Amino acid sequence: MVPIYCLPLLRNIFGCTDNRTGATKKDFRLHGSCITENKHITNAIQIKYIHQRPPPWSDTLPTLHIITPTYSRPVQKAELTRLSNTFLHVPNLHWLVVEDSAQKTALVSRLLENTGLNFTHLNVETPENLRTQKKLKNIRTPRGTMQRNLALRWLRENINPNSSHKGVVYFADDDNTYSLELFEEMRWTRKAAVWPVAFVGGLRYESPKINSQGKVFGWRTVFDPRRPFAIDMAGFALNLHLILSKPQAYFKLKGVKGGYQESSLLQDLVTLSDLEPKAANCTKILVWHTRTESPLLVNEGRKGFKSGNAEIRRIFKLDVKIRFCFFKHNHLLNKKRRDLSELALIC
Amino acid sequence: MRMRLKLKTVFVLYFMVSLLGLIYALMQLGQRCDCRDHDMSKDQQISQLRGELQKLQEHIKTELSKKTDVPKIFVITPTYARLVQKAELTRLSHTFLHVPQLHWIVVEDAPQPTSLVTDFLAASGLTYTHLHKLTPKDRKLQEGDPSWLKPRGAEQRNEGLRWLREMGAAAKGKEAAALEEAVVYFADDDNTYSLQLFEEMRYTYRVSVWPVGLVGGMKFERPVVEDGKVVRFHTGWRPNRPFPIDMAGFAVSLRLTLTNPQARFDGDAQMGFLESSFLQSLVTMDDLEPKADLCTKVLVWHTRTEKPKMKREDALQKQGMGSDPDVEV
Repeated sequence: MVPIYCLPLLRNIFGCTDNRTGATKKDFRLHGSCITENKHITNAIQIKYIHQRPPPWSDTLPTLHIITPTYSRPVQKAELTRLSNTFLHVPNLHWLVVEDSAQKTALVSRLLENTGLNFTHLNVETPENLRTQKKLKNIRTPRGTMQRNLALRWLRENINPNSSHKGVVYFADDDNTYSLELFEEMRWTRKAAVWPVAFVGGLRYESPKINSQGKVFGWRTVFDPRRPFAIDMAGFALNLHLILSKPQAYFKLKGVKGGYQESSLLQDLVTLSDLEPKAANCTKILVWHTRTESPLLVNEGRKGFKSGNAEIRRIFKLDVKIRFCFFKHNHLLNKKRRDLSELALIC
Repeated sequence: MRMRLKLKTVFVLYFMVSLLGLIYALMQLGQRCDCRDHDMSKDQQISQLRGELQKLQEHIKTELSKKTDVPKIFVITPTYARLVQKAELTRLSHTFLHVPQLHWIVVEDAPQPTSLVTDFLAASGLTYTHLHKLTPKDRKLQEGDPSWLKPRGAEQRNEGLRWLREMGAAAKGKEAAALEEAVVYFADDDNTYSLQLFEEMRYTYRVSVWPVGLVGGMKFERPVVEDGKVVRFHTGWRPNRPFPIDMAGFAVSLRLTLTNPQARFDGDAQMGFLESSFLQSLVTMDDLEPKADLCTKVLVWHTRTEKPKMKREDALQKQGMGSDPDVEV
C-alpha cells in the first residue's frame, strides 16, 4: 500500500579501454559502464603480439592517474618506451602524458597508441620567458610545471567530484625508475601518501621522518630540510578527491626557489599530519631518481672515419675539454648540473 | 458522514506524505550518499580489493606462461655493483616480464653472488640463472677511467656462454629439440629494449642484426640492407671493423653457439672490437639476417644512466651520519 521510492543514486561510472584488438578506446572519457572483469582478462591477452597486450581493468580498484611531463630530446622515445613497459604491468592505470610542445608530436602519439595503455595525450608549450634562465633564477619555472598543471586541470574538468570514481594522482617523470610495488602502495592513498626516493638531494635516498605514532614529523634530507615538504616529485601521491575538492591548488609557476616546487602544491592541499607513510613506514626504496645521460651525437651526419684513432682522439679531447671546462667554471655554475652541450657553449 | 470525512482526510494525508517523500527523494538524487552504515569498514574493503588485485596479477602470469610453443630467448646480462644497479635491473625486468619464453642469465662481476641480486631475481617473477665471474684486475676499469677505455663484460658474457654450452650438452629429448630453435641475446643492464625487438629476434637461424639507437655518437647505427642482404654498416665510427655493430644489435642462434664451442668474447680486444671478436668466428656478413623491417626501425637504444651525485652523502658519511646501510638502494 505504501509506495516505496527506491530511486538509486546516479553513478558516473568511468569507462575503461575496450581491450579488443584494433578497437581500443585509448582516451579516458566518460563512458557507460565497463565490460565485466572476466571479459577483460580474456580479451587482454593478445595472441599475435604480446607487446600489444593491455593490462586487465577492474571495476573496483582505484585508478592510478600518472602524470608524466615530457619533452623532445634524443632519449625521449627510449625513456617513454621503458616507462610504458613498466606501466603495462599495473592494473587500472591511466597515463596522462603532457608534451612541452606547441603541437602533439607524431612520435609520442604513435608510441602511446602502440603501447595499448589507457592514456590521455596533452600538450602545452612552456613560454620562452619561463624556461631555464641562467641569470634570472628567481623567475625560472622548474621544468614540467606547466605540463603538470595542465594535467591537473584536465582531471578537474573531466572527472565529476561527486562521482564514485576512486583515484590517486602521481607525478612520474619519464627518466625515473619505478618498482611495481610502488604503485600498489600508492593505490590505497586516502589523502596524501609519502615514501623515500633514492638518489635525490645528493644522498643515497631522501625520506620522511616517521615518529613512533607512525606520523611524519620531519624530513631526512640535507638540502633545506625546513621546506614545508622537503620531498621529491616522485615521493608522494595524492588522492584524486583531494585534487578535485580544491580546484585552486596548482604548482606555482613563478618565484619558486629550487626544491620548493612540490611544497607550492602540497601546502594548499595537506598538512604534515595528513601524510600517510608507505613503503614499510618509509624504510624501503621503491622509486629511484635515475637520470639518463645525454648522448654525445658527435658523429651525426658523418659518413665514417677511415682512421679510428682520429675519432678516438677527438672524443677524448672533447671529453677532457668538457671536464676541464666544468672544473674551471665550477664556481660560476654553483656546482649545479649542466648539460654537456651547454658547457660546450660556455667553453 | 464522519466516517467518510475521516477516510477523505486519511487519503489526503496519505497523498501529502507521498508527495513530500517523492520531493525529498528527488532532491537526494545526485547527492553523495552517506553509505557509511551500509559499507563494510574501509579496511575490509581494502583487503578485498587487494585480493582482487592479486587475482588479476596471477591471471596475467598464468596466461603468459602458457605460451610454450615459441622459441626460447636466452638473454645474457653482465652486471656489476654500483648505486644504480638495482634500479637498472628493476626496469629491465619489467620489460622482460612481457616476453614469453625468456630465460634471463644474469652474470655478476663479483667473486660471489651478492644478496641484492639474489633477492632481486628471486622476487622478479622471471625464469633466470644467476652466475658470477670476477673480471681480473688488469682488465677492470678504474675509478675515473672513461667508460670506453676497456671493454666491459667480456668475462661475464663468456661465463654465460659456458653455462649455455653446459646446459646444451646435458639436454636430452624434448628439451634438446626445443633448444635447437633458441636464440641468445646479449642485453646490457642500462640499455632500453622495446618489446617488439624480442619478437624480431626470436626466429634467428644464424645471426640476426638490426639498428641500435644512440650509439657510436649517432642517432642510430644500422646495417645497410640491399636485396635482403647486409652489404655494409652505417656507422660513424670505424666502419672498417669486421662487425661494426653494438652488442645490443645482434642475436645468435643457440645452435650456432653450441656447434662453435671456441667462439667467445676476447677481453683483450681493442676498443670497439669486442663484438667482432665473437662474431667473426661464427658468421660472415653475407649470412647476417636483417630484422626490424630490413634494418629501418630502431627497436633498441643504447641509453646510459648518469652516476648519481653523492656529495652530501659522502659528507654525512665522514661525520658518521650516513644513511642507514640496511636500507637497500
